Amino acid sequence: MPQTFVIVGAGLTGGSAAVALREEGFEGDLVLIGVEPEVPYERPPLSKEYLRGEAPFEDLLVRPPTFYPDQGIETRLGIRATKVDLEGKVVELEDGNCLPYDKVLIATGGRNRRSPIPGLDLEGVYDLRTVSDADRIRWEVAPGRKAVIVGMGFIGSEVTASLRMLGVEVSVIARSKLPLDRVLGEEIARVMESIHRDQGVKMVFEDAVEAFEGSGRVERVRTQGGRVMACDFVVVGLGIEPSTEVVAGSAVRIENGIIVDEYCQTSVAGIYAAGDVANHYHPVFDRRIRVEHWQHAIKHGQAAARSMLSSHKPYDEVYWFWSDQYHSTLQYAGFAPDWDELIVRGSLQQRTFVAFYLKGGRILASVGMNRGKDVRQSMGPIKAGVQVDLARLRDEAVQVSDLAES
Amino acid sequence: MDTFVTIGQAFDIGEGEMMQVEVTGTKVAIANVAGTFYAFGDTCTHLDCSLSEGDLEETTVTCACHGSMFDVTSGAVLQGPAKKPEPSYRVEVCDGTLRIEV
Repeated sequence: MPQTFVIVGAGLTGGSAAVALREEGFEGDLVLIGVEPEVPYERPPLSKEYLRGEAPFEDLLVRPPTFYPDQGIETRLGIRATKVDLEGKVVELEDGNCLPYDKVLIATGGRNRRSPIPGLDLEGVYDLRTVSDADRIRWEVAPGRKAVIVGMGFIGSEVTASLRMLGVEVSVIARSKLPLDRVLGEEIARVMESIHRDQGVKMVFEDAVEAFEGSGRVERVRTQGGRVMACDFVVVGLGIEPSTEVVAGSAVRIENGIIVDEYCQTSVAGIYAAGDVANHYHPVFDRRIRVEHWQHAIKHGQAAARSMLSSHKPYDEVYWFWSDQYHSTLQYAGFAPDWDELIVRGSLQQRTFVAFYLKGGRILASVGMNRGKDVRQSMGPIKAGVQVDLARLRDEAVQVSDLAES
Repeated sequence: MDTFVTIGQAFDIGEGEMMQVEVTGTKVAIANVAGTFYAFGDTCTHLDCSLSEGDLEETTVTCACHGSMFDVTSGAVLQGPAKKPEPSYRVEVCDGTLRIEV
């Protein structure tokens, strides 16, 4: 009997898993269900090249649309899976259809966090997750128009940069003290702030939106701190929450996403989860982590595919991601929720540097600006998890890849 | 077309190193993999970064900007975000002089 694998979620993780299953020789039935009408595509350009009109949508596709029928992958797109019925072993769709499965991969990703701010539903207030979200924002863009960006995480920062590059007048409001300070720490976040400031972005930190106001359409943002910011449109970027509804209330354990082990296996046999939705155990950092980045989406989807094919290889990739803002490329490798020492090579002021986040003498993560090579080379020492010699870490003459050796 | 252009001396590029050259307006990267030279497009097909400023490990070049990986022997994409391959050029070493076919 050929087996049937169902992938719930046709984003980058679901798409990468489908590709990997066929590449690894899975010959059974393979169904890919996605709530968006498009075949799997990559989201990073939505806040950058695609938003700026520099890359067509086709460039974002994981594989061309013909790939799926050619590979015998049945796509059910533009339809929501409502439930994974563990007893009946079927995936229920919103149109009432049921798809039987032998194994399921949940790769439903996340949805934008929406806080109950008055006026959030006004015309001209957007958030960004999908290509149609990006299209709606693109329609608003014209030189001289005024935008308010709410939140200065990666989406807020990148949209700010892209809109400035297109001549939009951008004001920012965020609860944080600095852009990306939660991830990068104050020293590096100050560099990010200075870059936006140089580009003429008006930034308000440690304040929050009280209400979006306007007659029918957003005209201004009123803040809790009593500020009034006039605008033509708003983009809200307050992060995502994992989309776990398909297994809500079931035996699949949920806690900040779907809990999986290092093999993408949930608490229920035959049910796997990967990508943004999966709160996964990571052996290098010895804890559970939920990650929302491009490379992880691909590699975790591939890892889940391997596990579904019964290979016993743990997912232990060192996370790595980039963020392009204006003409600077920021890169980050590893995972450092907190650290006790930050060591910088290069110059923060000149915006060419690599910095290492250490805890107990071990490099947990690195961040670099315009020094991508060093960030990538740090992935070896991060994975090795060994103590490094701080004098060597500071010494530019020592190659970053050699830091694990003493 | 057998148009070989002299681009420099082989000893200018150490083992495991890369160099960018410009040949008739095209930026080309030359990689020295254990004494064998390979030439390929230097401009990353993803977002135009210079591949010769990236990392060379055996026959794989990794773009310093966004981590795309290419096979230097063929220009093929080994890992995204890049999706399009790099052009690949024939290289010959004559008497210590590097020449590539364009």
